[in-house]
Amino acid sequence: MSVFTIEAFLALAGMVLLLVEAFFPKISLKTLGTAAIGSAVVAFFLYLGCNKDTSALPGFVAAWHQLDTLAIFYKGFALVTTILVLWLLLICSPYLKRFTVDGKFGEMLALPLIVCAGMMWMASAKDLVTVFVSLELVTVSFYVLVAATRKSVISLEAGVKYLILGALSTGILVFGIAWIYGATGSLSFEGIAAACANGGSNKTALLFATAFLLAGMGFKVAMAPFQMWVPDVYQGTSIPVTTFLSVGSKAAGFIVLTRLIDALTVHGSLIRDEVILMLVGLGAITVLVGSLPAIFQTSVKRMLAYSSISHAGFLVLALASRDSVRFDLSAGGIVAFYLATYLPMTVLGFLGIAIMRIQGQGEEIQDFTGLAKRSPLLATMLTIAFASLAGLPLTAGFLGKMFVFVGMVDQGWWVAIGCAVIGAAAGFYYYFRIILAMFSPAPANAVSSSLQFGLSARVLCVALGIVILVLGVYPRPLQKLLAPAPVAAQHAVK
Amino acid sequence: MVTLGHYLVVSGALFALGLAGVIARRNILIIYMCLEMMLSAANLTLVAFSRFHLVDHLPDYGAQALVFFTITVAAAEVAVGLAIIVALFRSRQSVDVDSITKLQG
Repeated sequence: MSVFTIEAFLALAGMVLLLVEAFFPKISLKTLGTAAIGSAVVAFFLYLGCNKDTSALPGFVAAWHQLDTLAIFYKGFALVTTILVLWLLLICSPYLKRFTVDGKFGEMLALPLIVCAGMMWMASAKDLVTVFVSLELVTVSFYVLVAATRKSVISLEAGVKYLILGALSTGILVFGIAWIYGATGSLSFEGIAAACANGGSNKTALLFATAFLLAGMGFKVAMAPFQMWVPDVYQGTSIPVTTFLSVGSKAAGFIVLTRLIDALTVHGSLIRDEVILMLVGLGAITVLVGSLPAIFQTSVKRMLAYSSISHAGFLVLALASRDSVRFDLSAGGIVAFYLATYLPMTVLGFLGIAIMRIQGQGEEIQDFTGLAKRSPLLATMLTIAFASLAGLPLTAGFLGKMFVFVGMVDQGWWVAIGCAVIGAAAGFYYYFRIILAMFSPAPANAVSSSLQFGLSARVLCVALGIVILVLGVYPRPLQKLLAPAPVAAQHAVK
Repeated sequence: MVTLGHYLVVSGALFALGLAGVIARRNILIIYMCLEMMLSAANLTLVAFSRFHLVDHLPDYGAQALVFFTITVAAAEVAVGLAIIVALFRSRQSVDVDSITKLQG
């Protein structure tokens, strides 16, 4: 059994669930949710057991589908993210029922499966046509997901903002694709790399195309100066969708960006230096425009949105460090590693906010005051998540940041390193502000009853906390997963 | 004789007009029309490049295939987008971007 059948299965399952939801209104959300999460789990086991060899692909699939280390990793990443998001959706169902028409949100349970199929196709795309189609499959599904909780006024507003800016980025991206085709005469990454390397193309046209492509993808991964939609959309939409945007959509954007930058900065490329310079500059700016406003936020959800921009900045900086192969990882591998550590801590952070919301609490920092007394378990787990997001040693987040910094030191980009240090230091300030609030005594007039939440939320909380700590101490399995075989052998001595 | 340059100038102008409209107009429906115009500009660029990129004395049809995908995706985007805009209109009685200001900071 081959990998591409899993994507077909997921897309089919998503469509069937959508139809079932539309034509059998009596079926309960719980059944639908179980069916959705069941299909995702089945797909995940199929993925673990399937044949991951490119030669096993039939010809009509192999034409647009590649299965290298990164593609296989990002496929697993998409599946894990989807399972966690569906789980989060089920945990949040009492809160989602309040904000959807007639308390029905079946489409929110079916669409993540289709999004997952899109992200998996994107991970192994060989050419820009496949990239474009799967990217739009993901984006259009996200338009629906963001606006789905439409009884909440801000959710609809977030939906419109995401729609307009998402469509704008699509337009810019297609224009960029058109120009890169014009400049290189090819739409496949291989062809683009070859054309960049042999010097036959027009340099100005190539740079023009690259700028548009970076702008289009910059919207999807929240890279400055195209990050302005992130705080509003993340704050406005429901928590599971915010999580999905913050982890899934970002990872999908970064695999495309990785492939694109790999092609454009291939050795001997005409525009290698310019592209790297653009990435370093944009990455450093992204870290700053994410970290500095985060300091002044009072809403934890909005603060996490700004912090997600700052993480995107670190990821772009990792992508820019082309020449350093350290820790058995290439630039693309470090991006993937960073995203893998980013997944559990972000989901755990948002799960904490979700639990507060279900209990009728707000998402302001002051609502977290005294949480350690009311629910020691949740406070401990959130402490792990926020410490890891800040990059405290012994947590997963530290290693990701360290890899990025080492890569930059290798290249000697001191200005960018300065920006990144400022961003990381600001991160320590705004994450530890929440931790401090959780462990300080609650004011006299606040709710002081203990906070109860369901078993499934507790299991998820503890599991994610453990994953963060284990990855922080023992990242070797993840590194092995991402190491491209020949490179690992060459640099084993390092 | 119409050359590649002519097509690129027209499509570039169309793209710039669309972008200017997205930035300057306040009505969401008109912004949406401008977005569609940007997509059409990109399509025109693709078709022009494909027509002038000869492979064995024939235009390269790879890029023209992408144009069909773009048109289809644009249609899907309009379907979803208009539904969201209608939902917004029902709750606000307005499709003006200045009326969506709940989220700021």
